[in-house]
Amino acid sequence: MSVCAGPAPFLFGQFNERLSRSLEYLRFKVRSHNAVAARDYVAAVISEQEKYAVYRDLFPDEWAASQASFYRRGYFRKYSERANELFHLVNDNCFPLLDYWHDDPEGDLEHFAIPPLNVDLCCEEIYFENLNVSYAAALIFYCPDDAWDFLNQRFKLSRSDFPEINPHPDQGVWDKNGCVFEDLLRLVDHSTGNPWLDSDYCQMADWFEFNRETIEGLSRDYHDAREAYDNLTPLDALIEANPKKMLSALIDFWNTGNLPDDTALMRTEGSENQ
Amino acid sequence: MNALSPLEILVRENEQVNPAILLAEELMRRDAADLLSAEDVMKAEEILQIGGMEIEMLQKQLAAFVRLPASPSASIPTGF
Repeated sequence: MSVCAGPAPFLFGQFNERLSRSLEYLRFKVRSHNAVAARDYVAAVISEQEKYAVYRDLFPDEWAASQASFYRRGYFRKYSERANELFHLVNDNCFPLLDYWHDDPEGDLEHFAIPPLNVDLCCEEIYFENLNVSYAAALIFYCPDDAWDFLNQRFKLSRSDFPEINPHPDQGVWDKNGCVFEDLLRLVDHSTGNPWLDSDYCQMADWFEFNRETIEGLSRDYHDAREAYDNLTPLDALIEANPKKMLSALIDFWNTGNLPDDTALMRTEGSENQ
Repeated sequence: MNALSPLEILVRENEQVNPAILLAEELMRRDAADLLSAEDVMKAEEILQIGGMEIEMLQKQLAAFVRLPASPSASIPTGF
């Protein structure tokens, strides 16, 4: 019967929803009533109810105005149109949830992975011209050959113009709170404590449970990750203005942990990455 | 030593339906727009766990039954 294939144009609003509910019930009744099917159904209902609670709590206005069905299946077929609507709201308003891995309509979103926002220094080809110039400069500590090629091409600077770089940073570089050099090195080192910035495609992805706490936490972290790149803009300008001086200061910071006497390198309160 | 025959043991067992089946019917009859409370969800999760354990136990017993070697018997079961 064509009515099972999808809602006909003359079926609107409450009637359409009641019809969908009735069809769902009939499908349930005609299936063999075995325990395995019942267990799977109960698990699916709990999962969807948890999604609805997240939807109602995080997006109360959209929840109140939504006409999406609780019974018809959405793009992700394990979930109703209403739950699918939540996934898109999270994707549009909080962070990229549906990019990359999560495009299989048969998949589920009980647990999900997030795409890294940092450069993969291990296996990915690095496009220096697309990076913040400060990030590209800091790569002299991690991918020296390519980074010096870039700096030579961009600023006519070569490795021989600067002191020898120690193989490892001085321990002091990691406790200079408020200094953009430390923020920069933490970003390049993938040791910010922010999951969007510390992951890359080479390591096993972290899987996050879909619940309100995770969505809210990852939203904050995503905002902070974007801000971490924005906070490099003043440092980019300083490097563009005097690349040799700034690069010398950065190398000295790496080797000794000493900060140059320059207040411009301190993060202002407005750019606090919190 | 237990003198009961396997059939007698079976007859003595409590007859019960997997609680997941009962809960599934109950959930199917309610309106999905009326959200379950946290207490309801917790209760449903408990039932899910009990139902899952019953299923697992039955599957193990069935697997053990399938592995039993066939043996001839003088008596033929009737009544099925």
